[in-house]
Amino acid sequence: MRGFLYGVYLQWKLDIRSKTMLITCYLVPLLFFAMMGGIFSATLPERALIPSMTVFGVTMGALIGLPPSLVEIYGTGVQKVYRANGVPHCLGLVLTNLSGYIHLLIMSGILYLAAPVAFSAEAPAHPGLYFGGLALFTAVSLSVASVIGLAVKDQAKTPMVSLLIFLPSIMLSGILFPIALLPPALAALGKLFPATWAYRLITGQGSALWPLLAMLLVAVALNPVLLHKTGKTN
Amino acid sequence: MRGAIEVLGLQKRYGNHQVLQGVSFSVNAGEIFGLLGVNGAGKTTALECIEGLRKYGGGSIAVHGKLGIQLQSATLPDHILGREAIALFAGWNRVKADPALLEALGMGELAKKRYGAMSTGQKRRLHLALAMLRDPDILCLDEPTAGLDVEGRAALHALIRQWRDQGKTILLASHDMAEVEALCSRIGILAEGKIAFLGTVAELTEKLGKHYTITLKTQGRTERRETDDIGQTLLQLLEQVQAAGETVLDIQVSRGSLEQHFMQIAKGA
Repeated sequence: MRGFLYGVYLQWKLDIRSKTMLITCYLVPLLFFAMMGGIFSATLPERALIPSMTVFGVTMGALIGLPPSLVEIYGTGVQKVYRANGVPHCLGLVLTNLSGYIHLLIMSGILYLAAPVAFSAEAPAHPGLYFGGLALFTAVSLSVASVIGLAVKDQAKTPMVSLLIFLPSIMLSGILFPIALLPPALAALGKLFPATWAYRLITGQGSALWPLLAMLLVAVALNPVLLHKTGKTN
Repeated sequence: MRGAIEVLGLQKRYGNHQVLQGVSFSVNAGEIFGLLGVNGAGKTTALECIEGLRKYGGGSIAVHGKLGIQLQSATLPDHILGREAIALFAGWNRVKADPALLEALGMGELAKKRYGAMSTGQKRRLHLALAMLRDPDILCLDEPTAGLDVEGRAALHALIRQWRDQGKTILLASHDMAEVEALCSRIGILAEGKIAFLGTVAELTEKLGKHYTITLKTQGRTERRETDDIGQTLLQLLEQVQAAGETVLDIQVSRGSLEQHFMQIAKGA
């Protein structure tokens, strides 16, 4: 257990050192919050600033930040060194996900505490439900990001694939402007992305639990399959 | 006597290319065994099959003891520090790193160095330290001195001999003939997917002849002869020089290296 906990702690430190997670989990979401918070608090409904900024941050941190770490482990000889030295093949995936989860919760916590002070934003009416939904959404986002990292396995291609999912997630989820303003086809397309359902869930705009759970199930089921493929030694 | 490693009829194919075609050899406990071959001969493939990192198509492999593995194409995340890598693998394997071993491998200077900033030689030393963490009975080393300077090579050779003296079995894959000649009690030469030679260095030399090279220099010319019989050839050369009325300026006699023998086997396979 100590070895495992040290692994999580070490991965957390490596994520900060590698800068990718530092930028995508903290720097960009918090800068975006600092610059856009004032505008958003004026244009979005009450209590929507914290959820919208958090959905943006979690989506970015997971989809853009996590895949490069996975590619570094599973797209190179690192996983072979892990196996050669008695470390299970799945450990890299587990450690990067746990570390990413901690980073994203820290970032979400900062937003939750800073928004009322900086922009007089109102905290969610039901903090328990909000954090429960956020925990689920973070897990879904990281699982989807893991699918990208394990499937693409290429340092150059990964950011492009991540952006292909990140951009529509942000544009079509309702966090920047109401979904009602979108053409019906784009609104329907937005339902494919976890961010749309997460925003609904944590702002209390209707039931979004089952779609998120279904996405989590699919992504989590795909992870071992893709992981097995990365470990295949023909 | 049961070998520490026993490989029998090992076969491995990549697509249409049959890399290993029934490779058989055994490594005795407590010896340093050298697996030789030119690039692409299948040394790394054979080693990775033995290490359990690669599946194989046919044959059998038996390993009697705990393995320590140093890979040829090993890498770690760029931002990990030397001491963190040691702590990660030691922690996971529930072992404590031996300070004397870390000292011998020069881990002190690498403790606070990022993996991405380490030289090739420093990375090799770190991976060797990782391979030794679990105090293995058998060490599989794939090109362990590649990228090391002369001093580093000598130090590592001394360490490998020390591990052998401590009773460890060492399987060493290399294309560096001098290294194999200096370290190994027995060798196996892989050529075209088969073991083309298996035995001691002395047996190899015996099998292929002594291969002395005599270089004789006079004012006008330099004569070079390859021979197994130094006396007879030298006598003939001197008689020729005398008959031509020349003066001998220099004579050099050199013994054929393992490298020459190896190339002879590799070509002849």
